[in-house]
Amino acid sequence: MPRRSSLPVTFVVPTLVILLILSMVPTLYAIIIALQNRELSSTAYSWVWFSNFFDLFSDRRFLNAVWVSVKWEVVTVVATMVVAIGLGVLMFEVASQRLRNVYCLLFIIPVLLPRVSAAFVWKFAYHPLYGIATYPYRLLTGGLIFDPLSKPSTALFAVASVDVWQWGLFFAVIVLKLLETLPPQPIEAARLDHAKRWQIHAYVTLPMLKAPLVSLMFVKMIESLRSFDLIYVMTRGGPGVATETLDMYAFSQGFIESGKVSYASAMAVLMMIATVITFTMLWKRVQA
Amino acid sequence: MKPVRLAASLGAAFVLSATVSTLALAQAPVCSAPVKVLAQPRDGLTLLEDSKAEFEKLSGASFKIDYLNENDRRAKSRADASTVGNYNVYYVDEANVALFASSKWIVPLTDYYPADYDYADFDPGRQKVATYDGKVWFAPLTGGGDLMVYRKDVLEAAGIQPPKTLDELIADVPKLTNADKGMYGIALRGARGSGANVWRWMPFFKAYGGKWFDGDKPAFNSEAAVKATEAYLKLFKDSAPGTQTGSWDESTGAFLSGQVAILVESTPLSGMAVDPKTSQVVGKIGFLPPPSPLPGGGYGHGLAIAAKANADDASKKCAGLFIAWATSKENEKRRLDAHQFGELNRTSILSSKEFADIYGADLGQALAETGKVTAVNFWQDPRWPDLGDRWGIILEELIAGTRTDVKGSLNELEAYANELVKK
Repeated sequence: MPRRSSLPVTFVVPTLVILLILSMVPTLYAIIIALQNRELSSTAYSWVWFSNFFDLFSDRRFLNAVWVSVKWEVVTVVATMVVAIGLGVLMFEVASQRLRNVYCLLFIIPVLLPRVSAAFVWKFAYHPLYGIATYPYRLLTGGLIFDPLSKPSTALFAVASVDVWQWGLFFAVIVLKLLETLPPQPIEAARLDHAKRWQIHAYVTLPMLKAPLVSLMFVKMIESLRSFDLIYVMTRGGPGVATETLDMYAFSQGFIESGKVSYASAMAVLMMIATVITFTMLWKRVQA
Repeated sequence: MKPVRLAASLGAAFVLSATVSTLALAQAPVCSAPVKVLAQPRDGLTLLEDSKAEFEKLSGASFKIDYLNENDRRAKSRADASTVGNYNVYYVDEANVALFASSKWIVPLTDYYPADYDYADFDPGRQKVATYDGKVWFAPLTGGGDLMVYRKDVLEAAGIQPPKTLDELIADVPKLTNADKGMYGIALRGARGSGANVWRWMPFFKAYGGKWFDGDKPAFNSEAAVKATEAYLKLFKDSAPGTQTGSWDESTGAFLSGQVAILVESTPLSGMAVDPKTSQVVGKIGFLPPPSPLPGGGYGHGLAIAAKANADDASKKCAGLFIAWATSKENEKRRLDAHQFGELNRTSILSSKEFADIYGADLGQALAETGKVTAVNFWQDPRWPDLGDRWGIILEELIAGTRTDVKGSLNELEAYANELVKK
């Protein structure tokens, strides 16, 4: 019987301990703060237990932020996956290998831009008078003004389009590479059976790629939760509260408006719990 | 060696070493590490960076300025001051000086401001804004009140005299809007914030007789606030595109690029409007005080010594020296030479012949006139940013149209103010 080595434990345990400390200390601290009434402007505080959590449910801005966050999550994840799969399949079908390489290079550039830079570029592009993105509208309507970031009905979609521009194009490259790795036999077999192109992808290639596509979707879902920088630069949660997501509202409460760090922490803790539950359920459902 | 000679030699050696130490101390640099400054972009500060070597020679260390736009600078400085304290010098303003001072995030400036730099030379109005609870907290980088800047050519073409009253302004603005030709009657601020949309709304509130508090009792939920908000929203229908979610940059940008007929804004606009480098409307504009009874919004921004990052007296002296140097007469003269109108704060500069030669008599006259109607419109209390920002969000919702009930909005703000007072 081979002797059990302690080497794996020696290597793994310190790393795990560091990871545990890095993840648990801030989490526990956030939970503790959420149960107090700390404010930035004062060192005095007391324990209020679940009072911050109860207050949240009667706070109209918090309820609005929950709804905006759900909308943001659905819009960005669905649009990113649609763009990624659509463009990936299109490149696979019509582009030569050389052209595919050019497209891949171009499509990776947006995601390499820092989010804040991308947000500033697009904020200017959406300017109602000078913006390149609003220019076609001005041209077609004889100079009428379209200000997508100032309208509550369009602001969220305008910001989401930047997110999709960055991640949808990047994911399209990944989808293309996944398609290229598939064995050619099933596709050939489908072609011999006179399957149309869309049928080949709908019934053969994409079902074969179900696992990596689901993983990509989860990555995007997690990434979409961290939309703060994009929204902060482009709209700061406005107009009004039309694009105020939970992280944006928590930051506002903690550091912009009133310095209520405990109240903001309560929001962060609720977000964490909701995210863990939702992702666990979704993961189990996908695995089933 | 005889004892007397030995004693004399030791004495001489002691005196010599003491003298050398004193000289060394006298020449010891004031700063031992670069001064870290958190500020918002200002032409004056950018110009200051060209003279880094001068400060290094003076203090023994350099400086580094991190720039963030106004709202971000307010948020970051608040977070930094209350937590880690990374910055030696904060850029503060009239809206948050009370909060920073009462929270002990900054220290009284004059304790560490070298007397040679003559703090008393600053414009008295700006000194007043920099004073809270009887102590001076910052040295001004900018400040002033409001001016009405208008397009002479556009008003003449429309046959309209420059409005002298608020009623005339409200009546004239729609007549001046010609969206097809890219001309808008006015530009206001829509973006949330006590220093953004609320700042421009407050003169209307005061003009209609509003006041914030009566003792500890909120008094702003009044007919005056309703009228002020309705007037502001009415004018917003003719405000230039981009201003609905914009602030100073967007409204002045629209005016300077020739799309706005009338703008009532903070006084630095006037300097920008006559500068061909920043303005496309040079030679076409006139200046007047804000239409009566609109008061000007008195304000002042400047540099303050951080408490946390400057734990000892030496660091505070270093930060104080930096602030004194940055706002000195010599540096202000450089700003005047660079035609940075909005960066001038010292009476010795504002009343100089060079100033009159550059900006002309008209602007000087308008500035003198507007000084008479400049007032502090906000609630001078550490809780002001909290209350002001809350109203800023509600006002932005009203401007965006996601809210329509003005009275209901004021009721909500009053409930929030009562909570603030209870604390």
